[in-house]
Amino acid sequence: MEPMTIFFMILVLGFYGGGFVYFLVKAMSSKHNLE
Amino acid sequence: MEGSSKSTFGSRFGFICAAIGMAVGTGNIWRFPRVTAANGGGAFLIALTIAIFVWAIPLLIAEMVIAKKTRLGTVGAIRDFMGKKFTWIGGWLGAAALGIMFYYSVVSGWTLRYFVYALQGAFSNAGTPEATEVIWEGFLSSPGQTIFFHFLAMLIGGFIIYKGVAGGIEKATKVMIPTLFVLITATMLRGITLPGATDGLVFLFTPNLGDLANPTVWLEAFTQAAWSTGAGWALLMTYAVYTKEKEDLGVNCFVIGFGDVLIGIIAAMAILPTVYALSETVELAEAALASGNNGLIFVYLTALFGNMPGGTFIAAIFFLALAIAATSSLLSMIEVGVLNLQDAGFSRNKATIWICIVGFLAGVPSAYSINFLDNQDWVWGVALLISGLLISIVMMKYGVQKILDEEINHENADMKIGAWWGWCIRAFPVMFVGVFGWWVWQSIQWYPDDWWNPMEIFSPGTMFAQWAILIIVLLLLNNRLAELIRPGRMKEGKMSDEVPFEKMAKE
Repeated sequence: MEPMTIFFMILVLGFYGGGFVYFLVKAMSSKHNLE
Repeated sequence: MEGSSKSTFGSRFGFICAAIGMAVGTGNIWRFPRVTAANGGGAFLIALTIAIFVWAIPLLIAEMVIAKKTRLGTVGAIRDFMGKKFTWIGGWLGAAALGIMFYYSVVSGWTLRYFVYALQGAFSNAGTPEATEVIWEGFLSSPGQTIFFHFLAMLIGGFIIYKGVAGGIEKATKVMIPTLFVLITATMLRGITLPGATDGLVFLFTPNLGDLANPTVWLEAFTQAAWSTGAGWALLMTYAVYTKEKEDLGVNCFVIGFGDVLIGIIAAMAILPTVYALSETVELAEAALASGNNGLIFVYLTALFGNMPGGTFIAAIFFLALAIAATSSLLSMIEVGVLNLQDAGFSRNKATIWICIVGFLAGVPSAYSINFLDNQDWVWGVALLISGLLISIVMMKYGVQKILDEEINHENADMKIGAWWGWCIRAFPVMFVGVFGWWVWQSIQWYPDDWWNPMEIFSPGTMFAQWAILIIVLLLLNNRLAELIRPGRMKEGKMSDEVPFEKMAKE
């Protein structure tokens, strides 16, 4: 694979994987969850 | 309604699992890889990302706003949000979702059947598309089987809905969604470790930025964003009725949007490398990707599973993931009907039984005829774009800035949503004209001589005819529908302090 393809793959997976985990953790750690 | 403990999600994780289950369906697994492959791979992912942010997430947030403010199903929610004379819009939202449910249950049945086929090892001796096509055609031409598995899908969905929100939907999706992530990831790991799999990854991730100049790439990306996330379908609007008073909107909708695309990308990383690695020629790989949703999954991929070392096991995992994705989406469609009937005075149990019986009977023609199913998929699939437009209009009529200030960025919000949300909602009609107009224009090209013919499967004529019938019926029933639904917590656009949600939930 060309470096550009590898870079873009990491970018896409990082963006969506990282974004999903970030927002999920943010949701789970909200102080209002048990109210 | 049931007691409050059963009428709200017990936890935020439960709501998020249910909402991701609503969004992630068969379209993520069989449409996403195929459309991505057909539209430039990496370039399509860029366009899709923009579409998710300007189309899908703003609409998902809008749906949660309507649900949290009214705490009613689609019909009552729009009646209270826009006024009695617009009740028919709520009817449209509910009817379009149910129109999908009627045939989606049949598709869910297909996935269950193929999971059983995989467990039976039916693909191990069918290593060519010709052989798997015989299995597929044989299944489709056996109405007894297609109707039985449609019944089974509706039975499973109905059973979960019957058990209630916390005891049914939440409990089931808290198991189903993490399992789906694990199963589809396992399939992906097998796909990318096949010899020659890198061709598929190159095809998926190489960003040919020149493709972004192609309008079709953008139109397909916006269509995928709409159909994949379920934005504007009133499914999230229905689930959000059962959220807690202080529930956040923005973060939840971002989780749904990111999770939905992530599952699609993982599915694409499972399917495209498998297709490229195991197809004997590049032409065969391209034929697989050009064979439509059913052809790609039920004919070509099953043939490739037959050739793959450990293919029987991987096929079972893959079709189980597909069945989970389909069933979790089917739940939300059933719930749209159930909540509306509850609002009209039915008990939850009676409403579930009625919706499932009607859903089964109305789905039988689709189980019997693939042409009928394709027609319904076309008519109600495009109708959902209209549903999205109507929701954006609902927002604009109420006041975009007012909603942003008072409903979205409330004191308990976990994340402030910026003015971009309002811009996207206001710009929605323009985006709609582009995407909807493109589909209509395309379908005219498919039937240049008789595009008006309502008897053609994919013609504009059949769409407009069926929509017109629905709208006429809804307009005639408008006042009756408005009176049928119990009072909500809003009166003439204002919150009623007399009917707090917790009290309503206990009624």
